[in-house]
Amino acid sequence: MIRFYKGLFFAASLGFAVAAVARTPVFELEIRDHLFVPEELVIPPNTKVKLVVYNRDSTPEEFESYELNREKVILGGSKANIFIGPLAPGVYPFFGEFNPRTAQGRVIVE
Amino acid sequence: MFLNSVVIVLREVLEAAVLVSALLALARNARLGNGWLWMALPIATCLVLLYAYLLAVITDAMDGAGQEVINASLQVGVYLLLLPILVAGCSPVGSQRRRMLSALMTVAVTFAIVRECAEVHIYVRAFAALQEHASAVWAGSALGIGIGVSAGVLVYAALRALPARWSQQGCQAMLALIGAGMVMQATMLLEQVDWLPDQAPVWDSSPWLSEQSFMGELLYAVLGYEATPGVLQVTLYLGSLLVAAGALWWGWKERVKHALPE
Repeated sequence: MIRFYKGLFFAASLGFAVAAVARTPVFELEIRDHLFVPEELVIPPNTKVKLVVYNRDSTPEEFESYELNREKVILGGSKANIFIGPLAPGVYPFFGEFNPRTAQGRVIVE
Repeated sequence: MFLNSVVIVLREVLEAAVLVSALLALARNARLGNGWLWMALPIATCLVLLYAYLLAVITDAMDGAGQEVINASLQVGVYLLLLPILVAGCSPVGSQRRRMLSALMTVAVTFAIVRECAEVHIYVRAFAALQEHASAVWAGSALGIGIGVSAGVLVYAALRALPARWSQQGCQAMLALIGAGMVMQATMLLEQVDWLPDQAPVWDSSPWLSEQSFMGELLYAVLGYEATPGVLQVTLYLGSLLVAAGALWWGWKERVKHALPE
């Protein structure tokens, strides 16, 4: 009986995990020549999304946004996952802290 | 690149410098000496190098949440280490407590330096290696360290300039605020990797005080200032402050209890 409940618990946990991952929309972003590509990401309102940021440069970059309360170092030639939201409609700027003059972008929630 | 280097290095050094200054003032008030800091510096340097070396592995660990989980653990670790330091700082320090207090301070400062300075090391190592940026990065970083350390010296001098009793209480209050700020930052990091739920901001004070201004950065280092904090961040911040206040009250009660028989 205990084994049955354990199995049920495991299946339920796995089900919730798969459902949670499946429900979260994924948006991809690249850092290329110290620029964000695309510069603008349009995401749905009141929805948690997963940003996958690929750093195609050889140098590291830090994804940073005061408005989104996010900061993450991404080494050259690697990728990083960053969850954002749920967000109200609006414009949320982000930038690359190591190259702030060029690496600028916006998340547009609409 | 010069100005950028100043800003990046200053932001990180400022946070560590404020914590070190408050601990130095507390240690001086408790006549502890500075041995704990001299022990922390080489250990922290080795760990910063190790962290930077392993960053790719750390980032990919735990389904991409490794960087945030380690950084959040370091920050919560600093807070948890500050609690017994707050208790011990309330009463005169005997030789056994002196050793314990020194050890706690060494670990707390080591954690803070690793958290704040690993990013500086990654930035400087990568961009100083580029011929066209090398001098600007080195000069900017040196200036950033200089300003950050100067701000720390000012905090230390201000705390020490207070009358003895107020100085100790000032150090303790500042450490409680820094600790709570660290918990708030850790909350934000765990929200970033979906380990904690993200919520709508409770307020938006960015029009009055931007997080990007020097005052915003200083308050971020001292109070954990966030212009747009979520409900969970505010709740855990206030909860951490409450626990720190409880630790101070307990330490004060112990002091009174030990003082009575005399």
